[in-house]
Amino acid sequence: MTDQLQLTSPRRRSRFAAIVIYTLQSCIPPKRWFALLLPCVGALLFGLLALAVDNHFPTAERAFANVAAEGIFALVMPIAALVIGDAVLGAEVRAGTFHFTWLSPTPTWQIVLGRWLAGSFVALVTIAPASALAAVIAGAGSSAGAAFLAAAVGSMSYVALFIAIGCITRRTAVWSLAIVFLVERLLGAALTGIAQLSPTWESRAIFLGYLDDPPARLIRSGIPQGGAAVVRLLIVTVVALVVANWRMARLRLSGAAD
Amino acid sequence: MTAIGGGSGIVNDPAFADDATVEVADVSVWFGPKVALSELSCSFGPGVTGLLGPNGAGKTTLMRAMTGLVGVNQGTVRIEGRDPRRDRQVHGRMALVPEDEAVPAGLTARQLVRYTADLFGVTDPEAPDKALHSVAMLDVADRRVDGFSKGMRQRTKVAAALVTDPQVLVLDEPLNGADPVQRLHLIDLFKQLGASGRTVIVSSHVLNEVERMAERVIVLMHGRLAAAGGRHAIRDAMDDRPRHVLVRSDDGRRLAAALIALQSVAGVTFDSSRDGLVIQTVQARELAIALPRLARDASIRLLEVRALDDSLESLFRELVR
Repeated sequence: MTDQLQLTSPRRRSRFAAIVIYTLQSCIPPKRWFALLLPCVGALLFGLLALAVDNHFPTAERAFANVAAEGIFALVMPIAALVIGDAVLGAEVRAGTFHFTWLSPTPTWQIVLGRWLAGSFVALVTIAPASALAAVIAGAGSSAGAAFLAAAVGSMSYVALFIAIGCITRRTAVWSLAIVFLVERLLGAALTGIAQLSPTWESRAIFLGYLDDPPARLIRSGIPQGGAAVVRLLIVTVVALVVANWRMARLRLSGAAD
Repeated sequence: MTAIGGGSGIVNDPAFADDATVEVADVSVWFGPKVALSELSCSFGPGVTGLLGPNGAGKTTLMRAMTGLVGVNQGTVRIEGRDPRRDRQVHGRMALVPEDEAVPAGLTARQLVRYTADLFGVTDPEAPDKALHSVAMLDVADRRVDGFSKGMRQRTKVAAALVTDPQVLVLDEPLNGADPVQRLHLIDLFKQLGASGRTVIVSSHVLNEVERMAERVIVLMHGRLAAAGGRHAIRDAMDDRPRHVLVRSDDGRRLAAALIALQSVAGVTFDSSRDGLVIQTVQARELAIALPRLARDASIRLLEVRALDDSLESLFRELVR
């Protein structure tokens, strides 16, 4: 009880900026960054795989397109987004520390948007460049831009979706995995209606849409390609954020012990 | 419910405060099959009010319901006339210090308090340091909160609550983990806040702790209101309940005969399993004074004197009866 009052006077931040900074500082600790590193390394390994099999395809771009469609956009990108999406909300709700944010006069839309922006930023500096780098490693440098854009838009959409799931259930990881691998991969493969709303299928469509010579077998009819797929995913993102905002006002935060 | 002394709130019920800022009306909360609060009605006004009850009594659920963290299944909660679940602006008028040890990872104490200040739109840039100073945490403000002891975490959370200058301060077991010096400091702080006109609600399962800072006490048991009133009235009610005291001596027969003559003794039985006398009393304090004197006068050597039902649980059970 002997501390002396020597005050520091930092500049005041807006609520929104405070939420974004807090999310980056607290919700993505070193362990999460390490967990994120794994899918990023996975993306690079898929680049190496494309390089290894490119003699089976007419061009390196085609080899990379085949590997990226099945490996990067259907597997490592959703996993990376899950690690991020769970960290920015679900993990905090489970840990019992979300009340520090929720129990304030901050509008819920600012909380949702702030968390999503922070999560999106993390995706933009991890899985999106890793996907582009994979293209370079595969010798398909001309596909790097498309891979970056597809991974960026896809993971941002996923982060919004996982935030919404975090507002609905405490078992964010389980439900998110179920949606990605059961609903999107299994049902989405059979039903075009589901694939049209799926970040996995739509990010793949973005990637293919921006390639000069995409493999015909990867193009799925009934799903918008390129820029149209970007718009589709933006709509999915907005809807997910609206749902998250609606649910956030009704969260029941019963503590870490419960 | 045992309405005990003090208070002259609406309908003269001590469960209701004058000038109530926090009103709980007929509130029930359940989690699946478990009923945490059952048709609870009470209110809280300016000053420090203690929320007392054994573990599992529903104190934490009530505090979470009051702050809006948990919605009620039945009844209403109002903070300054507003529903904390529907009106987020009311959160700007109150703060909660939860019992959970959980703190945000990777943040220093100063960063956490500053984050709270930013969320509440606190304009004074020195407010975070002043709040940390008020709980004697300024020296360690740049250390990470997740590395703190339980007591230090609690004090940091108190600082995070104080930085918002709340009119209603809800503190769930805030003295947990604090050492004796820190306890005194925090108790003084809460009393000052109460004296300044803020509504301070402090929960604890330790009566001595609550009565040192709260003028008014509300007792919960099994999610229901068990008693309410002034702290002295609650203390007297607890002291006056029947208690059982085990006494082992070198001459039980003579001691029993002498004890029967005492007014503070309601009955005496011999307990062969414990090899001693079990005294039933409703005046434990008087018995504590009379027993050694009686033994000395009768030249009886007392080997053991022990209350058999002195747990807080038994005290509360007695109040509910």
